[in-house]
Amino acid sequence: MDDFQAVRDLPILIGAFFVLTAAIGVVRFPDLYSRLHASSKLVTLGSAGIFLGVAFALNDAAAFTRLAAVLLFQFLTTPLSAYLIAQAAYLRGLPPILGDGQGGGTDEWGALGRADEVAQADREALRVLAEEGLVDEG
Amino acid sequence: MRGAGFNLLLGLVWALFLGEVSLRTLALGWVIGFLILTLFRRSLGVTAYTRGIGATAGLIVSFLAELVRANIHMALMALHPRPRLNPMIVEVPLRLQGDLPLTLLASLTGLLPGTVALAFSPDRGSLYVHALGMNSAQAARQSVRQMERHLLRVVGGD
Repeated sequence: MDDFQAVRDLPILIGAFFVLTAAIGVVRFPDLYSRLHASSKLVTLGSAGIFLGVAFALNDAAAFTRLAAVLLFQFLTTPLSAYLIAQAAYLRGLPPILGDGQGGGTDEWGALGRADEVAQADREALRVLAEEGLVDEG
Repeated sequence: MRGAGFNLLLGLVWALFLGEVSLRTLALGWVIGFLILTLFRRSLGVTAYTRGIGATAGLIVSFLAELVRANIHMALMALHPRPRLNPMIVEVPLRLQGDLPLTLLASLTGLLPGTVALAFSPDRGSLYVHALGMNSAQAARQSVRQMERHLLRVVGGD
């Protein structure tokens, strides 16, 4: 029994390490966009490690099938929410910090705070919500 | 369709021969059935199916490898005393089309090393990504392009 202790605990330790670095990254990185990198990537793998360790500890088939479902949805939804947060912040005019202080760092989109792009994104969002019957068309 | 049916049938036959129909025997039978279909893909006419499954497996393996690489890269930057973040916004021209593949690409991009998807261009011809800790815009583009190639193989565009 104790021989397997390390196999069970290692994924939890690795997962906890990545979640810790995510927290450190969110505190240390300079702006919303770079913080999103830390929170989306590191939390996804970190929580995957913790879930895997828990499944090993419970050690029955149901735990592993639930683990697979949880991971699938986590991998699909976490980066999409980062995408939406970054896009909303950018279109509403939050300037990203660019470059490493020695020049460089281009913005190839260049739509920062542009009113027409904001309006288009809003119209698109409203259209989707109306299609789903969540808001009145208008 | 035909390939998927064959494969499920072979999995079921395997489970019946073992005399125990459970998730484990069905899954094992499905894998063995897939190997048989791969061997006889020409004569059975299931080339498209085996190629599709192969491409999906390639996508998953490559994505998991990139995910681990992305996390180590990001963890090192979070712990580095003076990380060289070099943030930039990069335009990645795309060949991929369709709502679902593009949504998947935007989602997977968020888990690749150093990139988070920001927006699609209005004509959906390119994806804008925020890159962090990449040496050049070209490196960020390569990262997204590699995943796009895998997705193209899965949807059968390449």
